[in-house]
Amino acid sequence: MAIQTLKATRRDKIGTRYARRLRDKGQIPAIIYGHGETPESIALTAHDLSVELKQGTQVLSIDLGEGESQLLIKDIQYDYLGTTPIHLDLVRVSLDEKIQVSVEIQLRGTAKGLADGGVLEQGMNSIEVECLLTSIPEVFHPLVTHLGIGDSLLVSDLDLSDGVTALVGGDERVAWVAVKVEAAEVEEEDAEDGEVTQPEIIGKGKKEEEGGAE
Amino acid sequence: MALLPKRVKYRKSQRGKLRGNATRGNTVAYGEFGLQVLAAGWITGRQIEAGRVAATHFLRREGKVYIRIFPHKPVSSKPLETRMGKGKGDPDHWVACVRPGTMLFEIGGVDENMARQALMRVASKMPYRVRFVVRRHGL
Repeated sequence: MAIQTLKATRRDKIGTRYARRLRDKGQIPAIIYGHGETPESIALTAHDLSVELKQGTQVLSIDLGEGESQLLIKDIQYDYLGTTPIHLDLVRVSLDEKIQVSVEIQLRGTAKGLADGGVLEQGMNSIEVECLLTSIPEVFHPLVTHLGIGDSLLVSDLDLSDGVTALVGGDERVAWVAVKVEAAEVEEEDAEDGEVTQPEIIGKGKKEEEGGAE
Repeated sequence: MALLPKRVKYRKSQRGKLRGNATRGNTVAYGEFGLQVLAAGWITGRQIEAGRVAATHFLRREGKVYIRIFPHKPVSSKPLETRMGKGKGDPDHWVACVRPGTMLFEIGGVDENMARQALMRVASKMPYRVRFVVRRHGL
């Protein structure tokens, strides 16, 4: 993945109101920390950043006017609808340093268990891996065509490239084919539940018992 | 049958206020696609159940539907033609309090077209404006 360069400016003022004013001007507040150095508050152009984020960029090269520095995106805060980034956490990293990143898992193919009435469930959508900055995998594409009903795809089955180590146990399940609960069974369960019309009051029974004893 | 809690500490509750936006429960967490509400208010257990039925009937046996909200709040009402006063009415139904951004339903295991159609059917059962969202991968 190519590392993109973004121009940024240092900001002296911090706080909610100032950050809000920055966002109104089309900028996004961010902070740079790591490597034992003093944290720096910066502002990035919202448009440039959103273009990079849409491409799934994990590493940014920030130009603060004193040369470029490689920064790993540690965290992104979004607005309440989860659409617009409102703040970024960037961590200083060096090219020879091993970093921990989350990589997406996209299942490939149709599991054979689906034809037998199973349903494919993905319990792990991303996986934490350790690798060098230059070798961050974009996405993992494991094949699930061999999965029958009751079979699971484990972390150990993922095809990790050289220099990439999974930080999750190899026996953790990524995806599995479960038996589909029949619609008739669900309706029966609903009918059973239908008998209850009012919830039980916690502690009410106790009081009545105490009252009765007196 | 509408959703309601199995056990509660108190039968009745005050109305409360719904200020601000959702700060939790506002991302697609279980499935691949979701239905996000854009207004604040109450959604009754019946409406949630109607949404679930609409989605499961459309999807038939495919995929999985996740309900992300639950009606924890009792709403009381007085009988018809009753004079005001004489205390609070009896519990009538149960509602879930939602703020803008709350994820109501999620669907996984089907393609986007199917999920979109199913969730649009659910949307027609909801009392507020909602929007279709896709899980955001990565950060």
